[in-house]
Amino acid sequence: MLGIWILALFLLSTAEGKEVCYERLGCFSDDIPWSGTTERPIHKLPWDPKKIDIHFNLYTRENPTSFQEISAIDASTIDYSNFNTSRITRFIVHGFIDNGEENWLSDMCKRMLTVEDVNCICVDWKKGARCQYTQASNNVRVVGAEIAYFVNVLKEKHGYSPADVHIIGHSLGAHVAGEAGRRQPGIGRITGLDPAQPYFQGTPVEVRLDKSDAEFVDVIHTDSAPTIPYLGFGMSTAIGHLDFYPNGGEQMPGCGKNPVSQIVDIDGIWEGTRDFVACNHLRSYKYYSDSIIYPDGFLGYACASYDVFETENCFPCPQEGCPNMGHFADKFKGKIKNNFVKLYLNTGEAKDFALWRYKVTVTLSGNSKVKGYVNLALYGSGGNTRQHQIFEGTLQPDNTYTSFIDAEVNIGTVTKVKFLWNNNWLNPTFPKLGAATITVQSGENGKEFRFCGSGTVREDVLQTLTAC
Amino acid sequence: MANTLPPCLLLVLLLLAPVLPAPHKRGLIFNLDTGELCLQSAQCKDGCCHRDGGLSLARCVPKAAEFQECSPKSIYGVYYKCPCESGLTCDVDKTIVGSITNSDFGTCKDPRGSRLW
Repeated sequence: MLGIWILALFLLSTAEGKEVCYERLGCFSDDIPWSGTTERPIHKLPWDPKKIDIHFNLYTRENPTSFQEISAIDASTIDYSNFNTSRITRFIVHGFIDNGEENWLSDMCKRMLTVEDVNCICVDWKKGARCQYTQASNNVRVVGAEIAYFVNVLKEKHGYSPADVHIIGHSLGAHVAGEAGRRQPGIGRITGLDPAQPYFQGTPVEVRLDKSDAEFVDVIHTDSAPTIPYLGFGMSTAIGHLDFYPNGGEQMPGCGKNPVSQIVDIDGIWEGTRDFVACNHLRSYKYYSDSIIYPDGFLGYACASYDVFETENCFPCPQEGCPNMGHFADKFKGKIKNNFVKLYLNTGEAKDFALWRYKVTVTLSGNSKVKGYVNLALYGSGGNTRQHQIFEGTLQPDNTYTSFIDAEVNIGTVTKVKFLWNNNWLNPTFPKLGAATITVQSGENGKEFRFCGSGTVREDVLQTLTAC
Repeated sequence: MANTLPPCLLLVLLLLAPVLPAPHKRGLIFNLDTGELCLQSAQCKDGCCHRDGGLSLARCVPKAAEFQECSPKSIYGVYYKCPCESGLTCDVDKTIVGSITNSDFGTCKDPRGSRLW
């Protein structure tokens, strides 16, 4: 009984609503919607910016390997640095537990600098991110306010337009970007890399990242299963102008490895341990990073659901093209018609993650039906693929089988196709099977290529089909 | 040679095996996915247990496609360059030293390809 009274007293005292104020940034309260709702039951106030200790680490083409620390509080550091107002600026913000000097942030900057001339700023707020989750998700508000303040200083002191600012945030960092965009209207673009789900999904737009936070908001969802019970860390709801759900958005290929193989990673034990804890969740920034060097390797197909995407209904890309997931998503900025666009695609299971989607239709030829599988390899101006299995089951001559190949190379113009079948065990009658015609359709531009084959082949023998 | 480095690993895998009942489609010892650690190509779904060097750990990877580098099937079961996919042959000049050290490398070719063009 006493316990209940203490609990009631505790709840009452916290429900009153407190407020903290910090210089430059203003006041932060723990009133609804910030706390005290079903999504955010625990009351927490954001920490002092001094305690969170936010750093802005600048990389440019002049200093691609070592960063210069700049600060809006001491604006002269911006003047002395390699920051150039004629270039666009991209902020990269990490999430929970993470660290702004973690390799993925600087590697992403380095990749950007190979394709464009930018001011790339890694935002480090590790002291505010390495605490209880409920605390970190409130510290987000202060970090967002600091970025907004930084952008404002650029605007006031250097005449720098917020439209030239792009904020890339991973996990909690995505909501940092949302907060910055809410405080500083007119920010050009925000990219949410698997925005954090607990404490944000289902909350009002001022709490979380939303399409109203910037002129263009694109989101990559890679871990959108519910936190309870599946431990998905990312949001499942569509919140941007473009929402990409690679591999369906819940389970990423390459993330289902056994624990030993996952931790003992090619990129080291540290990277492996990170993946062991949150493989799906971390895939979002890996895809983004790869999309910088493979602009056309991550095309998103607008579709009702992932299951429909796996059928023929959402193929190929429409007349105006498919949006690119990742870095070049803003190419599609002016073409958005619908309110929320859900886009689907498949990716590879290890780097490089880029894949190019083709639809293949095979008409079989032969005398007898057999059980087995059919493999196809595509050859073209850009190279050739591995053999991809397109069908398994009863192979009936004159029947047509349709499937998709997510090719690991951009084949370009398809020049020939190789066909191979196998019935999995030795058949003493030595049946023969062939492909009479194969059509290959490119997803990117809808171009169709037609190939014809003559005769039949024994199992495990390649049949080459040429254009006709 | 192939079994010198990871016997402890095999032990770990064997101990883990009864603890984690393998789901239907993937396994801990056999039917391993791409990227999982292996000792033998027979364990891999894709049919090639590959390592970069003599001291590095081996992982399952897909077999070599046409025009990619390959090595012929070896008794070691672990490869520096994977064997070719079905229907292709690894075009290589075999040497005695090469077959002992598993370093006869060639290129995957379609044996019927040359006839057609």
